[in-house]
Amino acid sequence: MKDDVGGNAGRARFQALCQALRPDLLRFAFWLSRDRALAEDVVQETMLRAWKARDSLKSESAAKPWFLTIIRREYARSFERKRLATVDVDELIAREEPMLAAAHDQDLAELRAALFKLPEEYREPLVLQALMGYSTAEIAAELGLSTGAVLTRLFRARNQLRALCGEDTSMDPAP
Amino acid sequence: MIDCAEYRRTVLADPHAASPELAEHLAHCPDCPAYSERLLRFEGRLAQALRIDAQVPRVRAFRSGWLAMAASVLVALGVGTLWLGAPHASLAADVVAHMAGEPDAWARTDVPVPSADLNPVLADAHMRLDSDAGMVSYAQSCLFRGHHVPHLVVQTARGPITVMVLVHDSVAKAQPFDEGGYRGVIVPVPGHGSLAVLAQGEGESLADIESLAARVKDAIVWTG
Repeated sequence: MKDDVGGNAGRARFQALCQALRPDLLRFAFWLSRDRALAEDVVQETMLRAWKARDSLKSESAAKPWFLTIIRREYARSFERKRLATVDVDELIAREEPMLAAAHDQDLAELRAALFKLPEEYREPLVLQALMGYSTAEIAAELGLSTGAVLTRLFRARNQLRALCGEDTSMDPAP
Repeated sequence: MIDCAEYRRTVLADPHAASPELAEHLAHCPDCPAYSERLLRFEGRLAQALRIDAQVPRVRAFRSGWLAMAASVLVALGVGTLWLGAPHASLAADVVAHMAGEPDAWARTDVPVPSADLNPVLADAHMRLDSDAGMVSYAQSCLFRGHHVPHLVVQTARGPITVMVLVHDSVAKAQPFDEGGYRGVIVPVPGHGSLAVLAQGEGESLADIESLAARVKDAIVWTG
């Protein structure tokens, strides 16, 4: 977004980009933080930082991973600054019940609650893959892990998630 | 040829993985096709579960009509994007809106926040508090209007009051407010932005809150 970024056209394009990406960015921040209010704050702060750093965005096609990296950094910063205490997952689930509820679909609500119970090290790569469409190599690059480590985490994530949802995991290989 | 364990390990890590080895195993194994089918069904549910409604506004305890309306309009339009170009809500409205995000902070307690938690929050804003401020029971460095600022709760004889040190937001003169179920005042702090002090409900008089604000303001020692 190097051309005319400071002018009205550049500003409008940037806002359009933010508007298009915001739903998925908010979802990602929500599953990362398990806190809607914090997710909104993180996304808002991300947009602000992105606007300030817009010159470093090479093309609009690279915008999604660019924003995601800023979100992860911003979330880590919030986590560090707020020194978020270890929280009771059931309390988190109760607090975010409006977000997890799915009208006429109790199974979906239970699956969302189960996602809350996954450890972050498993939840984050799973969300990157299943929501954001990241490949194993892209997840590895974003998280600073080897592709083998990512595959192990993804395997464990689905294994645990399915068990939490009462799925038959008897045919799953040992973790 | 890969065995069932390897096949399942691979598709559990990536249900959409494709390779000649996986295809060959699937073609000859009596059990794995059904396993794959169940996994793909689950994957569809997972994708659906992850797509939470990004438009659902977070619940905020606004009592005043205009503020609730303003908040809903902002949410509908996409707060994050339009925040860049839209005129800001009043400082008081933003402070009140921030309160809804941390309701637990308002607990009445006689347990002070540990110094190890309080001091870094104050240090971030280049300040410390002397003991005249009262007992601080809650301290967080909060995102507010794009900056991290100290959010403190001070216990008083009449209950908890919240203090936000708004080093990036200046006001020309004291701004009392009474909205959204909170009563408070934002006072100027020359050279260091402003200080918002507020209480919940209507139990605290504005005069009392202004007096508390003056006390807290005097108790701040700026270190930078």
